[in-house]
Amino acid sequence: MQYTNPQIPEGINTSESHPLKEFFILTGGVIAIVVISFYLLIVTVDFFADKIPFAWEQSIPLESLLESDTAEAPAYLERLTQQVAADMALPQDMQVTLHYVNSDTVNAFATLGGHMVLHRGLLEKLRSEDELVMVIAHEIAHLKYRHPISAASHSLLAMMVLSLFTSSADDILNRLMGTSGLLTLMKFSRDYEHRADAAAVDVLLGRYGHAQGAVGLFEVFKAERGGSEPLEFLNTHPLTERRIQRALELAEKQSGLPAEQSADKKMQPLPAEFTRWLAAQSASQALDKSTTP
Amino acid sequence: MVDLIIFIVLLFLGYGFGRAAEASHYKSIRKRERFLNRIPAIASRIPPYGEPNFDSQLVSGNVVISVDYFKRFSATLRNFFGGRVTSYESLLDRARREAVLRMKQEARSLGATMVFNIKFETASIHKGNGNTIGSIEVLAYGTALIPNNIEVAHTANLMR
Repeated sequence: MQYTNPQIPEGINTSESHPLKEFFILTGGVIAIVVISFYLLIVTVDFFADKIPFAWEQSIPLESLLESDTAEAPAYLERLTQQVAADMALPQDMQVTLHYVNSDTVNAFATLGGHMVLHRGLLEKLRSEDELVMVIAHEIAHLKYRHPISAASHSLLAMMVLSLFTSSADDILNRLMGTSGLLTLMKFSRDYEHRADAAAVDVLLGRYGHAQGAVGLFEVFKAERGGSEPLEFLNTHPLTERRIQRALELAEKQSGLPAEQSADKKMQPLPAEFTRWLAAQSASQALDKSTTP
Repeated sequence: MVDLIIFIVLLFLGYGFGRAAEASHYKSIRKRERFLNRIPAIASRIPPYGEPNFDSQLVSGNVVISVDYFKRFSATLRNFFGGRVTSYESLLDRARREAVLRMKQEARSLGATMVFNIKFETASIHKGNGNTIGSIEVLAYGTALIPNNIEVAHTANLMR
């Protein structure tokens, strides 16, 4: 009896297919599933979100949270806010509450319950009333379209869905799914920004007849960013360049005035009283900082 | 964001190193398999030759191979969709063949002509550690048949 071992033929116990091919198909599959299901869920949620009564939003106790570091806003800001709100034809039951925060943060935001928060850091960067109106109108537009409640619903939904899916799976897979879900949410966030920009440009056109305030504000952002912007799909806000583009296009369409002609329109200066007040705020903040260890 | 970049870098490193390691390992396995083919390893439990002519001794070969980041990620995706976990198939194939080769190597150093009754043990040595290690162990063992001194000449004659 003769005993031999044959040479083991390759490709029986292992697969000949290229590992990268499998990797891309599977990764693409996971991303596609997450993106598509998130997209459908968000569209569904959005349909219901703006049907939630505004009074419910108001009953969420955010006030205490917001007031911890807010200061008295000057009458000029209050007046401008109420004027813009009136221009935008808000729903009957909706009120805008203005909060002013004396901090260096260059930011403004609108949140649940009709609250709008302006930081001194942003106000200081503004060079005209047009730009200020653009900021206020943009934030009020978010409130008008119920973006805060939609965004809150999205995040809640995303967390629920992801925890459902990933409780049993691997950490790496969790991360992949979480990231693709987050990027899908960001797409919706960018759409909201465009919508709010468009509504704000309308307000600018109604008040001043041109939309230079929008261009001015976005240039402030651009200067703040220092010229470099990350890829758009990784961001909650659209690229500043694209926002300028859209504002100009919209202004041209609405007013019938070519963009080149509106470019030399003068912007309304900020009242001297307001700029003085801002300077005083900044000084008092600096004083606070130097006295507290 | 930083997380994502780290993840992609690890994936690329895992793929690059894992792929290179696997290719060179397979090359070495094929070469040594051809060389050690003269010592057959068979699964039969009954010794094939007349026992008095041979001494027998336990021989074993043991190997531990680690999975790379890329393979583990592919396998995770497979856990989600189902199907052949091809990234682990090649890993286990390499481990089994390497274990047999090491066993045969030991048999050869003892002057054995064949190994019978070979068996395999497989273990993953990351149990209880989540996905921190992720290595597999394969042990191959069997009984080597070593011709007695007198018989060496005899078998040598037979083979001539």
